[in-house]
Amino acid sequence: MKTAHEIRPGNVIMFNDAPWVVQKTETTRSGRNAAIVKMKLKHVLIDSSTETTFKGEDKMDVIVLERLDCTYSYFNDPMYVFMDAEYNQYDVEAENVGDAAKFIVDGMEDTCQVTFYEGKAISVELPTTIVREVGYTEPSARGDTSGKVMKPAKLVGTDIELMVADFVKEGDKIEIDTRTGEFKKRV
Amino acid sequence: MQHSHWDIFCAVVDNYGDIGVTWRLARQLASEHGIEVNLWVDDLRSFGHILPALDPKLPCQMVEGIRVLQWNTPLDLPYVAGEVLIEAFACELPDEVKQAVRDAATPPCWLNLEYLSAEDWVEGCHGLPSFQPGGINKYFYMPGFSAATGGLICETGLFEARAAWQTDSSNKMALFQKLGLGGIQAEDKVISVFSYETEALPALCELWSEGQQRVHALIPKGRSFNSLKALLPCPVEALTPGQRIELGMLTLHVLPMTDQQGYDRLLWSCDFNIVRGEDSFLRAQWAARPFIWHIYQQEEDYHLVKLEAFMQLYCDNLASEIAECWRNLNLSFNQQQATAVQQHWQYMDSHAVPLLAHARQWPIDALKTTDLATRLVQFVKNSLR
Repeated sequence: MKTAHEIRPGNVIMFNDAPWVVQKTETTRSGRNAAIVKMKLKHVLIDSSTETTFKGEDKMDVIVLERLDCTYSYFNDPMYVFMDAEYNQYDVEAENVGDAAKFIVDGMEDTCQVTFYEGKAISVELPTTIVREVGYTEPSARGDTSGKVMKPAKLVGTDIELMVADFVKEGDKIEIDTRTGEFKKRV
Repeated sequence: MQHSHWDIFCAVVDNYGDIGVTWRLARQLASEHGIEVNLWVDDLRSFGHILPALDPKLPCQMVEGIRVLQWNTPLDLPYVAGEVLIEAFACELPDEVKQAVRDAATPPCWLNLEYLSAEDWVEGCHGLPSFQPGGINKYFYMPGFSAATGGLICETGLFEARAAWQTDSSNKMALFQKLGLGGIQAEDKVISVFSYETEALPALCELWSEGQQRVHALIPKGRSFNSLKALLPCPVEALTPGQRIELGMLTLHVLPMTDQQGYDRLLWSCDFNIVRGEDSFLRAQWAARPFIWHIYQQEEDYHLVKLEAFMQLYCDNLASEIAECWRNLNLSFNQQQATAVQQHWQYMDSHAVPLLAHARQWPIDALKTTDLATRLVQFVKNSLR
């Protein structure tokens, strides 16, 4: 059992005897530090998607499916193609990659985990932390060194914008938490 | 046959906040929508502070048309599934209740009533189902300020009653007298204070004590006074309701405990209100008076994000100069910036008239046409369809 707070895109959770792949999670804070987790789920077996909400502490069954360490190979619209150590290729539907897709860039070497259900690759999970290069960000405006002042930045190879500490410069490599999509630190 | 009553479960966390909101909702559902409501509360003693008619020793009693039940763990009163089941503010329902829901031939419409927030994400979560074991959905009901949220708690006729009260200044003077708050003249500035501990409060008291105008701060025994220990002649525990502490132009009054209606009238009667949490925060808005919201502190200062989201809404139709002043006042109070809060208070004093005009218009703009209880009843109808 995992709490909703611990669920990540790519996990497959069971509800009422049906497997659902988690495509997207969005954690927000309610009052008194309680968390609300909004998830986008897709039924693994039938073409059905839903949005649902959980308390951060709600527990759910995460089913352990066959998983393989893979690296990203290329995008063959609408499939992301991953490859294992023996050069076998697996197609994962872009829809099932969910928010992780924004961190997938050509040439990336991160070890991802492709999940299989009844022999079919159904989702992929990125490492919790990935390192990406900052392609564009404005120069530091305030000379802040505390890391609390944030500014937008774009990553190399993607149009995704995220907030980074004010001291981060173009060309810096930064750690990103793939669960939240948030900047962690400069490498 | 399915029972038509609604059950609301409330865990009392901070004395008056969660139960304050829940009680208001229960009363409105019963009085305005004719719904039979069972209100399960885990701490009747605290509840009794805002509802003097309650006997905390009774496990089950009718108060103002609501059946109030003692929620013990394990549950020692029978729960029978009704039409609706509400867990207030994400409280964890007893296992017996969850099992009864699963076993019910027709499960109740199960709702998690969440905290009020002005943040954007609330719209995206309002009304979403939450998978539960047994194939039952629970719905997240998110109060909020926009049409895409669950709305705001406000009884029918409240604004009219408040306007009538504020039209005649003898009402407030009579209330102060009734509460044993002596020495207040009609022209004095009166400020209610219901905050958490903060360094901003002694700073404001210092400013008020050295000002030109007589100021009366009405403060219940509790957390606000914890911040004012250095100004008190005795320990906080020894303060008695009605006691007065003179500090130059400022008089601190120890406010007696009042029920919800009494607290509303107090907010209506003051020139400025400092409020905390959720229930008093909303009542301060309905009071049509300027206020500071001392928001419940969250990890990593996330409460400031919530404060900013509300201030952005509140200031939408406010002249930028006044908006900035009011925002700075709230931020400095919540960040315990003693010097800044003094400066912003003084600046705000010079904008008192337009700020008061805005405070009068805001409730009309915020509530729009329907309140939370009405929207909730409609939501349940749509969900059960």
